[in-house]
Amino acid sequence: MNNTDHAIALVGVTKSYGRTIAVRDLSLEVPRGKLFAFLGPNGAGKTTTIKLIVGLLRPDTGWIHVCGHEVGSNGLAAKAQLAYVPDQPFLYEKLTGREFLYFVAELYGISTRRRDSLLESLIHRLDVGEFLDQLTESYSHGMKQRVVLAAALLHEPAVLVIDEPMVGLDPRAIRVVKNLFVEHAQNGGTVFMSTHTLDIAEAVADQIGIIHRGVLIAVGTLDELRALARRQHSLEEIFLQLTEVGDG
Amino acid sequence: MAEPLAIPPTRSLLGLLLRVKVRSMWNRTRQAVDEAPVRLSAAVILVALIWLGLYWLFYLVFGQFRRTPLEATVAIPLVFNFFFVAMLVMLTFSNAIIAYGALFGKTESAYLLTAPLTPRDVVTLKYLESTVMASWSLILLGLPLMIALADAAERSVLSVAQRPVFYAVFIAFFLAFIPIPGALGMLLAWAAARFCPRRTIQSAAVAGGILVAGFVVWGMRSLRLGETEAEVWLRSFLARMSFIESALLPNNWVAAGIDHMIHNQLSQSLLYLGVTLANAFFISWLAVMIVSRYFDRAHDRAAAGRSGSKRPASRASGGLAGLLFFYLPPPLRLIAAKDLRTFSRDPLQWSQLVILFGLMALYLTNMPTLRVEFSGSGWFLIIPFLNLCAVSLILATFTCRFVFPLVSLEGQKLWLVGLVPTPRGHILLAKFAFAMTVTVFVAVATMALATVMLELDIVWAVIHVVVTVGICFGLCGFSVGIGARLPMFNQTNTARIANGLGGTTNLLASVALVATVLIGVGVATWRSRDLTSGRLPDAASLAICGAAVLVTVAAGLAALWIGARHFNRVEV
Repeated sequence: MNNTDHAIALVGVTKSYGRTIAVRDLSLEVPRGKLFAFLGPNGAGKTTTIKLIVGLLRPDTGWIHVCGHEVGSNGLAAKAQLAYVPDQPFLYEKLTGREFLYFVAELYGISTRRRDSLLESLIHRLDVGEFLDQLTESYSHGMKQRVVLAAALLHEPAVLVIDEPMVGLDPRAIRVVKNLFVEHAQNGGTVFMSTHTLDIAEAVADQIGIIHRGVLIAVGTLDELRALARRQHSLEEIFLQLTEVGDG
Repeated sequence: MAEPLAIPPTRSLLGLLLRVKVRSMWNRTRQAVDEAPVRLSAAVILVALIWLGLYWLFYLVFGQFRRTPLEATVAIPLVFNFFFVAMLVMLTFSNAIIAYGALFGKTESAYLLTAPLTPRDVVTLKYLESTVMASWSLILLGLPLMIALADAAERSVLSVAQRPVFYAVFIAFFLAFIPIPGALGMLLAWAAARFCPRRTIQSAAVAGGILVAGFVVWGMRSLRLGETEAEVWLRSFLARMSFIESALLPNNWVAAGIDHMIHNQLSQSLLYLGVTLANAFFISWLAVMIVSRYFDRAHDRAAAGRSGSKRPASRASGGLAGLLFFYLPPPLRLIAAKDLRTFSRDPLQWSQLVILFGLMALYLTNMPTLRVEFSGSGWFLIIPFLNLCAVSLILATFTCRFVFPLVSLEGQKLWLVGLVPTPRGHILLAKFAFAMTVTVFVAVATMALATVMLELDIVWAVIHVVVTVGICFGLCGFSVGIGARLPMFNQTNTARIANGLGGTTNLLASVALVATVLIGVGVATWRSRDLTSGRLPDAASLAICGAAVLVTVAAGLAALWIGARHFNRVEV
């Protein structure tokens, strides 16, 4: 397999926390320009997989490549292609949202002119202009999530990795974020999104992976999952059936 | 989409990270000036008062030295040697705890690790941050020390014109010294995360406790007078301490440099400053290189180590709570049991209590070795009274830091705790019962040990134990009551809750309460100074002690009542 063909490639990845195996022999390839939804019950290993991809954890066995760069040995090159939005968004609480976005722009070496032009569009689309000059400590979860998404998209990453992106967002913001992700994939970027919101995954994902107890039990398009589950129903029913089989 | 970054940035982004920190600090200061000018002014005034108090104390000490120039020649470098060796140990430990949190515990380091930053930039930032956070108090302590030393020096040695140079070099010594424990602390934190990631904080707390206890045992043994003459003892003591004057230890470079400065030997002083600086740069570079080289592995091990079943411990603490809080109704007993579990799983809380009272216990068990003849004079009461003062102040520190935030922390969970089928104010009783149980247990045990070691009369032993329980009652009542009256429900950081307006109010009230009670007991002790051991105090002294206990109990009850009234109608 040529790992440079894929935005994300995991090969035989296992990760344990003490005696608990969080991810077991996981192999997965996410092509460039695709929106990949990563599903699984609570504690299935979704967040661990995401942390392995972005380099916050190291696999016990196996390899992880991002845009052809091995995360363990060439982490800096891999991270330059990545943007990561965790489930609990991080912001410096004594900076304003605008100061934080300027910091991110400088972190990724974006020129002032380009930063201003990109920010103008993101501020408008994510509707963050009203509170962008307040200290981030006063933001609600949804406001933080929108600013962090703007920061993640600011440097136009090749791979966008997001853990539970829709939590805390209002319906309008969810629509905007969904559209942003789809556009990002259409423009050649890759989105790796973990979520419990199955109807969103069903609506926007090009590919879906289901992990259960650390094992990837299904991966493919929605039609391929339907074929696997031998049912012509919604993703919710497919998910419940597959994870029930995993339990049995 | 633009062409993604193909080549990772090779430039150091440390400057950018530092600018963000400076900006955050600037915003924090501006916010404090705009939103809480009174609190900021009060803090500045309090700091100024502490500085003046320290200056006065140091001036008296150095003035005393100046009266005996021969002894001062030996004593001043020794005092500085002791001061800086103690600072080296304490700052290393404090840096290790802060660096561990900064490197492996904060979401910021996780965020920075996913950005295209070199580990060296992240580690350097965290090193600087933790060193400043752990060491600012040394600077606070150092400035009045420096001015007092210069003012107490003979004018013939250090003229007014020379003092600015002295101050500059003195500050330079402090600044050159603090990176050394900073780097050692960061290496310790990294080693803990890398090699014993499971229960790291517990291991660090226990290691620190053992370190401090060992240091104290060693110190006490060195201080024992034995049967020898004072001069022989002094020589023996200095001989045992001679290793701290080793040329390889940084405390010696700083002490020697300051001593040369006091004697207006600038070039020799600058030589020692150069040695300190060079070593500080070297060890900082070495620590940053080692930690950044293996940072991702250590971060991974620290993250992977935070697991493990708590079921056996949970059963044990549940059983213990059932015994300790048997008198509470079931819902309140469960809340007290929850607080006990949280306490037992937070090493910051129990380790502070264990270390402070452990030090007291060590000191008390070594009391008889001092062989000072107390019986037959009022001293047999003065020493236990001083013990009571120390225990009370430790209790006030503990309740202000750890009991006060308990009610605020329930703010996030009031949807659950607030629905307990009992009046909401009663929840404060559970908090109070938990705090009383923990504080009475350790304080009474310590005071009982003190009375046994000093072979105190039974009447005075009972008086001291009853006063201690009364102080526990008052302090716990204050911390729970004021905690409920001035809570910070939107804050989860206990340190910030304790440092807020309510926490500061509670601290001042607790210190005032302790002072009131101790003045009462002090007066009773003073009135009984002519009593010989075995004689009972007079009725007036007993009445004063009784009144002091009543005052603290009444104050605690009043605070609880005020807190409960507010807590019953509070909206979160």
